Amino acid sequence: MSSYTPDSFRGEPKRNGRYTLDQINTSTSLAGPSKLQLMHKALMAPFSQRKTDSSSIISDLAPVIMTPRMMNAASTVSSKQPRERIGNSSMSRSRMDFATLGRAPLRLGTRRITSHDLEIVEATEQLLHVEVPEPDGVASNVSLLRGFNATIPSAEQSKSRRRQMRSVDAPHIGLKRLGMNARGLLADEDDHEGQSVTSDDDVVMVPRSDATLRKGKRKGRESLSTAKMLGKDELTRQRKEILRDKENIHIKRSLVNSEIMEITQKIEALDDIRTKLEQDLIKLQEDELELDDELQGVKERLDFEQSSSTRTSQSFQIPHSSRRRKGPAFLPSEHDELPPGVAFMTLDSHTAPLSALDFSEPYGTLVSASLDDSQPIVWDLFSGTESGRLRGHTGTVKCIQVEDTVCVTGSEDSSVRLWDLRRVDADGSDWWGDEGEIVSLSDVAEENSEDDTKPNGIRNGVEKDQKEDAACLRVLEGHTKAVSTLFFEDNCLVTGASDKTLRQWDLTTGQCVMTMDILWAIAHPTSSSLANNLFAGAAASVGTFAVPMPPRADRSWDMYEDYVGGVQFWGYGLVSGSGDGAVRMWDMRTGQAHRTLVGHSAPVTCLQFDEIHIASGSLDKTIRIWDVRTGGVFETLKYDHPVTALQFDTRKVVTATGENGVKIYNRTSMQHSTLLTNGHTSPVERLRYMDRYLVTGGRDSTVKVWSL
Amino acid sequence: MSTELPYAADAEVSLSYDELEVLRLQYEREQLQAHVTVQTKFNYAWGLVKSPLREHQVEGVRLLQDLYRSEPTRRRECLYYLALGHYKMGNFEEAKQFNGLLMEKEPTNLQALSLAQLIEKGVTREGYIGMALVGGAAALGTLILAGFIRRATRK
Repeated sequence: MSSYTPDSFRGEPKRNGRYTLDQINTSTSLAGPSKLQLMHKALMAPFSQRKTDSSSIISDLAPVIMTPRMMNAASTVSSKQPRERIGNSSMSRSRMDFATLGRAPLRLGTRRITSHDLEIVEATEQLLHVEVPEPDGVASNVSLLRGFNATIPSAEQSKSRRRQMRSVDAPHIGLKRLGMNARGLLADEDDHEGQSVTSDDDVVMVPRSDATLRKGKRKGRESLSTAKMLGKDELTRQRKEILRDKENIHIKRSLVNSEIMEITQKIEALDDIRTKLEQDLIKLQEDELELDDELQGVKERLDFEQSSSTRTSQSFQIPHSSRRRKGPAFLPSEHDELPPGVAFMTLDSHTAPLSALDFSEPYGTLVSASLDDSQPIVWDLFSGTESGRLRGHTGTVKCIQVEDTVCVTGSEDSSVRLWDLRRVDADGSDWWGDEGEIVSLSDVAEENSEDDTKPNGIRNGVEKDQKEDAACLRVLEGHTKAVSTLFFEDNCLVTGASDKTLRQWDLTTGQCVMTMDILWAIAHPTSSSLANNLFAGAAASVGTFAVPMPPRADRSWDMYEDYVGGVQFWGYGLVSGSGDGAVRMWDMRTGQAHRTLVGHSAPVTCLQFDEIHIASGSLDKTIRIWDVRTGGVFETLKYDHPVTALQFDTRKVVTATGENGVKIYNRTSMQHSTLLTNGHTSPVERLRYMDRYLVTGGRDSTVKVWSL
Repeated sequence: MSTELPYAADAEVSLSYDELEVLRLQYEREQLQAHVTVQTKFNYAWGLVKSPLREHQVEGVRLLQDLYRSEPTRRRECLYYLALGHYKMGNFEEAKQFNGLLMEKEPTNLQALSLAQLIEKGVTREGYIGMALVGGAAALGTLILAGFIRRATRK
């Protein structure tokens, strides 16, 4: 059938009020032939088999409109057609159709169709398809009807009736006035006689009140209950009612219990949702910190690129320190595909536990040193192969810092060397480079075959014995004992050594600018109370400093002999961590320690600071995070074994703490995690990370590269 | 298991105005607290269905439908009450559907069976009225037609 407009049809019933003939007449005269058309279709609708929701509604509504039309058959001709249709339709359908017709007079005078009607009818279709499960729980115990009967107001009737039964006709005491006075309200003067109002229900009562009252005056007061006789029927009825009321209470109780359970479940669900949302909040905070760091990095890059355009090229330039760079590093796009928390590269040329390592940038150049080797290995992290060695030191290299192409190493031989990493090549070819172009071809040919014999032995025999390297630019002598830690930025280098001093050097000239004596600082503290709290070994450490460290996870331990565990400076502010367990803040202009942060109970082994925090790790198995400005402790992280290396940023603290796994502490969510996958097989000793690239060195003589 | 249900006659007996008011107030009070208990809703809905006013019946059926949707355990009972409500309003089609579904679940339920009979009776009654109407209309139509033909032949 062609479409009709249900909206106009629905609107019509709403407008019409009572269905009197007059009204219908007037409305029809207004509309005209279009209404006839609609009505025409409405006539057909009941006889068609379409049963969509709206059409069924219309078919229901149609009789209402249709019937008055029939009564106005004088004006219509179309009534003929439905008649024919009626004759043609099968009887089975017609019964129902007649029902729809028959409904009309019933509906005529009674009501108007509202949107609610339609809503209900539309909903039935949907509801019928919904599953009807077995009732269980409270639904099977207490049916709705029972609950209804238990909770409607009339359930209380019997109780109030019984109470009224018990109300006794007593002489007027004036209780109301007493009560009102107790409440502090004025009572009416003429308090009407408090007559008991009995209900219309039959009250079986044998009134004997008058008789007993008269008697009561003479005999004294009797109990109130004797004034009334209730009768056996009444009492049994009351008993039944009471039992029923008790049942009602039982029903009510089970209803309330079930509601309580439902509410409890809802609360639990909401609590779960709330914890999830709180976790989301923490994640957002972490992301924000990351973005802040990125912003910082972008700003620095902007400055860098602006300055690089104006910078005059020099043969050798100490690059900007990477330690303080906050923003993300430049990584090859493949790095994103790496699974996080997995060591994807292992470098294992060393034969002894790692003593120091540092790298220039992710996939750049790595320099690593091990305990029994005085020649650190230079690696190319892009390919994972050795580039060469730094030859020059005569003792274990204990500290390394790499910035771009510059490397500074400090060693047990008390010297500090400055290297140019661009000049480091594979074994032997340095020598060829000195000779010039002619032998360049034979370089390539003979290089691989001759591993141990040095072709230039004749000319550079003296230097060969000393194993000097053209890559070494400077040697800084001055310390008297092993250099255990160093930090340089631009042209300024600070080193800490086991002679318990800190020295500041100028890298352009190679001269020591200042020496800061830690023992002197201990003896002359800036505030008097500090001396008492220091680690007991401090006073005793006049001679050689050697402290047994607590065992690591594999139960190995050494004597810890580095008096200065870590140094870092920025501008003229220097921070050092030393063997007395104190973190000192120095002014490099004056060479005085102006603040000592006390808290560790064992030598400080590693240190780092940024604008707000100082993080120091110590053999007492803790890391303390201090406030730079006030010197107070923000946080103390406790571990199971001595901390040997750490690095932190706004979001995490990565530490090497005497275990095979690298420990990562998330500062926003305060959660600890461990990197173990494809990790070290002995405790991790050293680490360094930039952005999502972490390099660790362990006692198993391997260097592992991780993706964070 | 058999559910406890009232006979259809119970639906014809309406609550007093005061009682309905109390139920309505209870319902609205719980609505303000944002948690309406099932019993309160049912009490109010059943009170409305029992009322003779059609608006009340419509509202009652709507509330019962809400209950049906939200409480799976109560659905079987609601089927009966919905059928009863529709029967009272005269929507025999829907009443039949709901009652049919109930009887599928519980073929031996006495109240459902009696309601089915009542619905059938209502339908046939309407059918008779419809047939009478159609017959009357047909008669009227032939009369008018005859009148036209006579007028035409007269001319």
